[in-house]
This record gives sequence, structure tokens and C-alpha cells, in this order.
Amino acid sequence: MRAIIIDDERLARAELKKLLQDFPEVEVIDEAANAEEGISKIDSQQPDLIFLDIQMPGKTGFDMLSELEKAPHVIFTTAYDEFALKAFEVNALDYLLKPVEPKRLADAIHKLQHTEGKEIRTTEEYTNNSILSEHDQVFVKDGERCWFVRLSDIRLFESVGNYAKVFFGTNKPLILKSLNALEERLDEKFFFRANRKHIVNLRMIDKIEPYFNGGLLLEMKGGEKIEVSRRQTVKFKEMMSL
Amino acid sequence: MRIGNRRYWLFQLIGWGSFVFINAFFAFSFDQLTPIVFKRLGVFLVLGVLFSHLMRSIIIHFGLLQKNLNKQVLQFFVITFCVTFVVSYISVEVLIGFNLMKKTEAELLDRADVSFWINKLLLVLSMAFSYFLLFFIWSLIYFVYHYVAKSRKQQMDTLQLESLVKELELKTIKAHINPHFIFNSLNSIRALVDENPERARKGITELSNILRSSMQADKAEAVAFQKELFIVKDYLALENMRFEDRLKIEYQVDENTLPLPVPPMMLQTLVENAIKHGISKQIHGGVVRVTSTIKNNFHELSVQNTGYLNGHMSGEGFGLSSTTNRLSLLYGNKAKFEIKQASASLVEARVSIPVEADY
Repeated sequence: MRAIIIDDERLARAELKKLLQDFPEVEVIDEAANAEEGISKIDSQQPDLIFLDIQMPGKTGFDMLSELEKAPHVIFTTAYDEFALKAFEVNALDYLLKPVEPKRLADAIHKLQHTEGKEIRTTEEYTNNSILSEHDQVFVKDGERCWFVRLSDIRLFESVGNYAKVFFGTNKPLILKSLNALEERLDEKFFFRANRKHIVNLRMIDKIEPYFNGGLLLEMKGGEKIEVSRRQTVKFKEMMSL
Repeated sequence: MRIGNRRYWLFQLIGWGSFVFINAFFAFSFDQLTPIVFKRLGVFLVLGVLFSHLMRSIIIHFGLLQKNLNKQVLQFFVITFCVTFVVSYISVEVLIGFNLMKKTEAELLDRADVSFWINKLLLVLSMAFSYFLLFFIWSLIYFVYHYVAKSRKQQMDTLQLESLVKELELKTIKAHINPHFIFNSLNSIRALVDENPERARKGITELSNILRSSMQADKAEAVAFQKELFIVKDYLALENMRFEDRLKIEYQVDENTLPLPVPPMMLQTLVENAIKHGISKQIHGGVVRVTSTIKNNFHELSVQNTGYLNGHMSGEGFGLSSTTNRLSLLYGNKAKFEIKQASASLVEARVSIPVEADY
């Protein structure tokens, strides 16, 4: 696993690197001292895992994650559990309290390897980095609340001005991304632009009914009803008949 | 909520005693103090005490006093009504049984043109009228007493809670050391054990000093500034170990201010704020400058740091408002505390303490 350590304190990074020497399966490929640096290094090197300090100057770790196109696996490191509790709410893989206990680090890495193992079948999909596969997870931050969401769990994107509303589970937070930008990044095998305002997850469709003007009405698994425009209906039927 | 049993019986005694006394007094002044009147009073007294006590048991049993006000009033009325009728009926029976009726009552019962039962009912009703008055007064006293007692207790509780909160607040302010800081320092020290063992040893000493002084702090009202400065120096040295070249520290200390008394951990709090809200938010870090001078008989302590004073001052409230509170508790309105943007990139927190203040 290729990892990047992001922490504003040099000594904290040095200490974590030293602890990680005992884990040959984790290779620290780089480190970053703040969120900006972190984003550019993650984008350019595509690590499998990041160790992320939460309190950093400029932007917090959470802010940083929400700016990433897709989130790698994250292990939060923090000195105080005020923020660790928040990290749990975001269902992060794990968090470590500084000074890090070697046993806890080992647990976290093993837990990670366990989930990695389950995802092996998806590795070939990682080859094209600009398209997000359905197994990729994104980090969504809406005010104080944050989530790691697998794309396959997202039912629907809805355009709201410059923002997009993301529907998953019972949540529908807003992210600062346009629907067009999202469409470019999403895998069209799974995500379909139903009309000007909506992108739907094809696997999350519950019912399909004919609608006015030769259009279609999709009922999603969460109960949302989405109209497919006439033009897109042709495309939709083509795709589904394959 | 029950009042003590003794007080309850005292109230009962006074209440029913005065009822008997007043009746006897009137009977006496109209010269009608016959044995029958006495016996009748005895019957009323026994029934009154018995049934008001029963009413109390009902009130306690159904927890009436814990319900909301509207319900309480309504249910008090209902209970008073019910008890009144039961008592009236029983007293009529008793009066008939022991032949203790007044002349008017006996005449009423004996009216031949209406049936006996209707006469009896009328008698019960007329009896109920005076009983209702008695029991109503009883309920009113009971209800008002408890209402007043309850609200007074609530007031007391609130006051006690407030003073407890204040006391705890002061204690936490004095002993306040950010756990975040402790763990971060320990983490840095652990990293230094290999890299720079000498610095690591020093770091452990500095951290011990801070922990010790923070434990002792809540015992003293004031310490010599010199002592406080030692802690601040240790603290900043540790932060310097963490932030490395991102933190520059400057001291401008007038030697004459060293023996002056200052509230413990106050400067420390300001320096901590300077790091937390200033340096740690700057990617390139900055400077923390601690100044101590005497100006116009005021001991001026100032902490400047790189950073910007933003709108949400209330967010960082605890440290700052506690500083204001402590100063006003210790010096009244003679001491001053202010925090301001001193220059484009410098924030300054300044405390002025009157020099000849005695403690």
C-alpha cells in the first residue's frame, strides 16, 4: 500500500514514519505539511492510503477531504478525541490518537488490508483515474456533518444552482460541484443523465413507467420520482436493451 | 412533595381548632352553648379531620402536586367536591342516628307533604354547602402552601446551581491546561528521543514543570510574575519544539515587574490563545511576543501574535471571558483587559493590573 502522511508538524510525521517502518506492507511515498500540499500530492501520486491530521493551519483535514475528487482510504491521526469523535461520524476507516500506540496502528492497518482484500476485483477499474468507478468513495461535507460515501450507494444527484444535492441513505447533503462536471467524472455504465437536473444511479431504480410525450418516469429506491426527458429516453432505452 | 408530618398536623390542629373555637364563640355569644351544640361540633370536628386527612392521602397518592398547574387546580376542585358530598351525607346520617339535629333540620325532615328521601337529600345539600366552604379553604391553604414552598425550593436550587457553576468555572480556568497540547508535546518528545535525545530530555522537564504548576495553581490567588513567566517560557519552548521554525518567540520583560503579583495561569492562558488561534492557523507560522512593563502605576502584560482577529470572538470565548471575569473578581474595575488587532498582521491581548493593589 502506498501511503502519504499529512500533518503540519514535522516531528509528528517523523514519528509516524518511524512507527510505519515495522509495517513493510505500507510504503510511505510522500508527506505533506498542510492541506493544499496534501491535495496536490494526492492528485499527482494517487496513494492507496493517507494518514491525515485533522487540525492543520489553513484548512482542516475534513476540509481537505471534501475537496478531493475521490477519497483514498483515510486513517485520521489526532492528539485529542474531540475531533476523533467527529471522525467516527464520518465512518472513516480508523483513527489514531497521538502519541500513536503501535498496537493500535497494527490493528488499523490489518483492518484496512481486510477491506482491501474484498476489493481486489475492482483494481482493474482503477486504471483510468479520471473516471470514478462505482466502488470509489467520495467524501461529502455538509456544514458540520461529513460522510464517506461509496458511489454505488448514491441514488441520485440533483442540480441546485451551482451545487449538487447528493441522495444516499436518508441524507441529501449539498456539494459544490455542477451536474455537468459530475457527469464527466461518473461512469456512464452506472450513472445516467435523466434530464437537465438529475443524474440517476441505474442500479438504484425501482420502477420504470411511461410518461407524457413519450418520456419515462423512474421511481428510485428511496421513493424519489425522476422524469426522463424525451431525448434521453431514446438513449435510456438503447442502453437498457443491450 | 410532602411537608413534614409534624407541620401538617400542626396546621390541621390550628385549622380545625379555630373552626371549633369560632363556632363555640358564636354559640356562646348568642347564648346557645348547649350540650347538643358541643356534640354537633364534636361530630363536625372528627369528620372534618378524618376526611381532610383522607383528601391529603388522595392528593399524595395521585401525585397531584407534581402535575401542571391547570390540572392541579381542576383536580383540587373535583376532589373537594366529592369529599364534601360524602362528608355531608355521613354527617346527616350521624346527626339523625344520635339525634343531634337542630330544630330547623328536624322540621325539614318531618315535612309531611314530600317524601322522606327528598327531605334528606335537601338536608345533605344544605350541609354540603357549609362543608364545601370548609374543605375549599382547607384545599386552598394546602395548595398555596405547597405552591409557594415548591417555587421557593426551585429558586434555591437555581441559586445553588449557579454558584456551583461559578466555582467550578473558576477552578477549571486556573487548572486549565489543554489536553491537546499535552498529547502533542508527548508525541513530539517521542519523536525527539531518537532524533535529538538532549532536546527530548529537556522537553520532559518542561512538560513536568507545566503539569506541576497547573496542579498547584488552584491553591493560590496570586503568584509572583517571575514564577508565571517560568511556566510560560517552558510552555513556549515546548510549542517551539512542535512548530519548529514556524514559531518565533520574543520576550521584552522589565526586570522590575518580576516580583509583582499576578493571577496564576493568566498569562499562560493568553499565550495559549495566541498559539491556538494565531500561530497554529498560519501555514507559515509567525511570532509570539510577550511584554511586561510598568506604565503609570499599572503592570502591563501584553501578548502579541501573528494572526487576525476575526468576527467570531465568542467562539474563543472561554479563555478570554474567563480572563475578564477573573480580573473583575480580583481587582474590581481597577484592572483592564482588551484584545485588538494591533497592526495588519498582529493581534494583541493586553492586561493592566494596578501595581499597589493589595490582596
